[in-house]
This record gives sequence, structure tokens and C-alpha cells, in this order.
Amino acid sequence: MARKTLLYDFHVEKLGATMGEFGGWEVPMLYKSAIEEHMIVRTDVGIFDVSHMGRIRFRGPDVMELIQYLYTKDMKKVKEGWMSGPTLALNQWARVKDDEMLYKISDEEWLVVANAPYREKMINYFKKVIEEKKLKVEVEDLTFNLAMIAIQGPKVEEVFEKVGAKEFNDLHTLEFRYNTVFAGEKIFLISRSGWTGEDGFEIWAEPPAMIRIYEKLLEAGAKPVGTIARDTLRIEMGFVLGEHEYGEDPTRFPNAISLRYGLGAIDWHKHGFAGEEALRAYRREGVKWIRVGLRFRKKDGRVVPRTGYKIYIDDVEVGWITSGTYSPYLKRGVAQAYIEAPYAVFGETVEVQIRNKRYEAKIVDFPLVPGRPVVK
Amino acid sequence: MYVSEIVVEVKKKKYIIKTDRKYTKTDEWAKLEDGKIREGITDYAQKELKDIVGIELPEVGKEVKKGEVIGVIESIKATADLYAAVSGKVVEVNEKLLDQPELLNTDPYGEGWILIIEPSDPKEYDELMTPEQYAEHIKKHAEEGH
Repeated sequence: MARKTLLYDFHVEKLGATMGEFGGWEVPMLYKSAIEEHMIVRTDVGIFDVSHMGRIRFRGPDVMELIQYLYTKDMKKVKEGWMSGPTLALNQWARVKDDEMLYKISDEEWLVVANAPYREKMINYFKKVIEEKKLKVEVEDLTFNLAMIAIQGPKVEEVFEKVGAKEFNDLHTLEFRYNTVFAGEKIFLISRSGWTGEDGFEIWAEPPAMIRIYEKLLEAGAKPVGTIARDTLRIEMGFVLGEHEYGEDPTRFPNAISLRYGLGAIDWHKHGFAGEEALRAYRREGVKWIRVGLRFRKKDGRVVPRTGYKIYIDDVEVGWITSGTYSPYLKRGVAQAYIEAPYAVFGETVEVQIRNKRYEAKIVDFPLVPGRPVVK
Repeated sequence: MYVSEIVVEVKKKKYIIKTDRKYTKTDEWAKLEDGKIREGITDYAQKELKDIVGIELPEVGKEVKKGEVIGVIESIKATADLYAAVSGKVVEVNEKLLDQPELLNTDPYGEGWILIIEPSDPKEYDELMTPEQYAEHIKKHAEEGH
């Protein structure tokens, strides 16, 4: 049975959401139209309930040692009040357990945001590492106490002004404030971050305060946006999602380098992190697969590439689609795919088998929607 | 002509069923017009699929069998098969849907019709679900599933 998001009643009673399951949670899938909601985020401002995401706190004198071991990014460089990530937690085959954002409150107190389906797995893993390494770190799951929303879109600053929270417009990308007041409501955290490619913020607060904040933001012109649009937005940007682009199973997923994660998610100057040996071996040997973007031709119309569809060059199977959608922004099919390295040439054309027909698509880099501000 | 309808309400959602036609278990409607069958998907089907972005239509002239997959409807979220409501020959398809598949969402019983079949066995139409039977059918599905 799926858990209900902390704001469940609000979505159903007040906003008339269609609820559905994602990552073991019942979340709002859409309110009226996923396509409209998608475009609201690209052109105006929308609010997602992301309370299903795992939020975990590390506290203790050995936190730095723990996170330096867990992640591929160097966390020593992070300043207080700043986020770092996304970064990767690897298994022994250099496959990705999860990609996560970290928040530094102090040397001895960090927060982690994990993907919803992996929250329990990651908490168990953290505890196992702490025990094995005899570290003094306390792991606390905040997921069920705090709701979380993401407010995203080019007009977010205007909405913040209207709700009397314009002081947060001064935050830099990946900067956060902790234990503060937002529009008259006590909140746990606000960060300038998101997962849509647009400017935006994420707010963590206890559910009653969050509902009041949500209502104020709606009144100021923001619109509710569901999980379907969240997925189409992230595919357009080329952001990865567990179980689609990555996972621990080496028979299903290439190693972490194939992901081409970028954003400094792997710091090659850093040593001593989990999965490092396998990862460096792959780096020396070269990778078999490369994650690339695919853009279909507009003249092929409303083609929708889906997960698992095969990719061909001259009848040779060279890869598969990991996530695909009809892009409401580009008005054509777009996808993320793994293609065998020798064939993964930007600008080249491949064919994708969709039922009985093959459709041409161009291999492109991310984001699939050019010109979007990944960071402000 | 005034066409009456049945409104099924499940979990705050309303589904419209037109009483001038018959229905399949796979959520297509079929309407008898001058001995031919016009077919489309129901309001329940379009609400389940949500944002419809594409459709694959059968070729005109194709012989189809009742219950056979004759097309595909793509929504943002999922791919759904379209089944022939009756056996016969496809005599017309709604090509307007290729450019405006969203008509399936906005007007599933009207502008969003999908194809016309010249039936080979008229009895098959009689065997389809009545509007009342279909109302019970979707009530059961909507309560169980979503």
C-alpha cells in the first residue's frame, strides 16, 4: 500500500488532484492537464508537492568522514548554508545506488535528499557504513515530519514579492536558509534549487504551515503542477531518474561514467569513496555505453518514445531508450538513451523502433530544450 | 436532436456515457449510422489516459475483426491499444486526429470520433454493452483501480 503524501487531503479536497503512485507514495499526478502544467513551469510559475522525497539528517562528529566515503563528490569544499550535488552513491560495481543533494548546516550537521523509492534502502546503507566504520553519526529520517514543495518557473521572484518573501530572491543558486520565516510562516529550510531547469526554490516546513504557504503562493499566481509534468520537464532537461537511467543491477545499467552526469558529480581528485576502484577501472578501460539525448523530427508529429524502445543504425542495434516523452515545449518526441560508445556521435541520426515503424532521431546533448537556464 | 446521457460519479470524478450508442469492455463506443458503425473512445477512457498526444489509425480498406487491435493512442503517460468494436471493413478514418489528437480529450463522442466500419456481421453490434451495462462496468473499474 502506497504511503500518502503529507499534503494528500489538501490536493484532493482543495485542488481536485488526480492522485497516483510514484516511488511507493500516493502523489498528485496532475490537476487538470499535464501539458498545461508543464508549460506553466516553463513560462510562468508552478508548485510541486515533493514531500515524497526522502529527507535525512546526519549529525555527529564523524559526519565529514561518512559523507566523504559515501559520495563521489568532494564535500570538503562545501560552505555552510550551501547545497552540493547532485552527487552519486555507488555500489561495488560502480553502479549508482542513488543520486542525492547534500546540504551543509555545519561541519557536524548535514541534510540529504534521497529519491523516494530509495529512501529506506539508503538509510539502511548509511547505518551499515556507520556501524562498519564505527563512526559517531546519528541518522534521522525527517521525511514524515516535514512537507516539501518546489516552486519553479521564470516568474518565481514576482510571486515571492507578492507573498512578502522577496528577501529570498537574493539567494544564489544552491544557497539555502535554515530555521527561518517565509511569508510569516516558520519554515525548516528554503533553498534556491529544483529539478525542472527553471529558476526556483524548494521549501521544507511542517504540514500545517506548508498548507498556508501553498495557499499564499497560489493566491499570488502560482499554479499547482503534478508529477506527470515533473517527469516530462526533467526528461526535457536530461535529468536522470533512478530505475530509468540508473540502478544498482550491473546487468541492466551501465556504470556511473556512462551516465555522463556532469555538474562535477564525480570528483576525480578525490580518493577513498565507495565504488572508487571499479569506477577508476572503467575510466581507464573506457565505457561501453554513453547516455545521450535524442530529438525526433517535428514532421513525424506526435511520436512518443518510451522506455525500452530499441535504437538502430543501418539495422544494427546500438542502444535503447531509458526515458522518453512527447515534449510539450518542442512539440516533438524527445528521449534519453544509452548508445554504444562508438556510435554515440552528436549530430548523427539513428532510428528508433516504435511498434512496426522506425523513426529517425538525432543524437544531441542535454538539455534537450536549448536555452533553458539550468542555473541562475 | 437531444441526446441524453448517463453520468457516472466515482470518487469525485464524473464520467459521461451517451445513451445513443453501445460500448465495449475495452472502453470504445460504437454508434450505428445508416448501417455503418462509427467508433471512438469513451469519456472514461480519455480521462484515464489524460493528455492524449498522438494516435495511429488503421488504413482505410482494412478488414478488421471484433476485438482486434486496430490502432494505438499515445498519451503523455501511457500507450493504449484501440480495439475494433465490430468486425468489418474500415471505410473512413478521422485524419483530423493526426494533427489534433487532443480532440479525443475534448470531444470524445463528437469531433474526436476515430473511424467508421462497414460491419460484416450486424449481430455483433447488438451484443455490445448497453449504456447502462457500461455504466456499471466503469463504476466497478474506477472503484477498484484508481
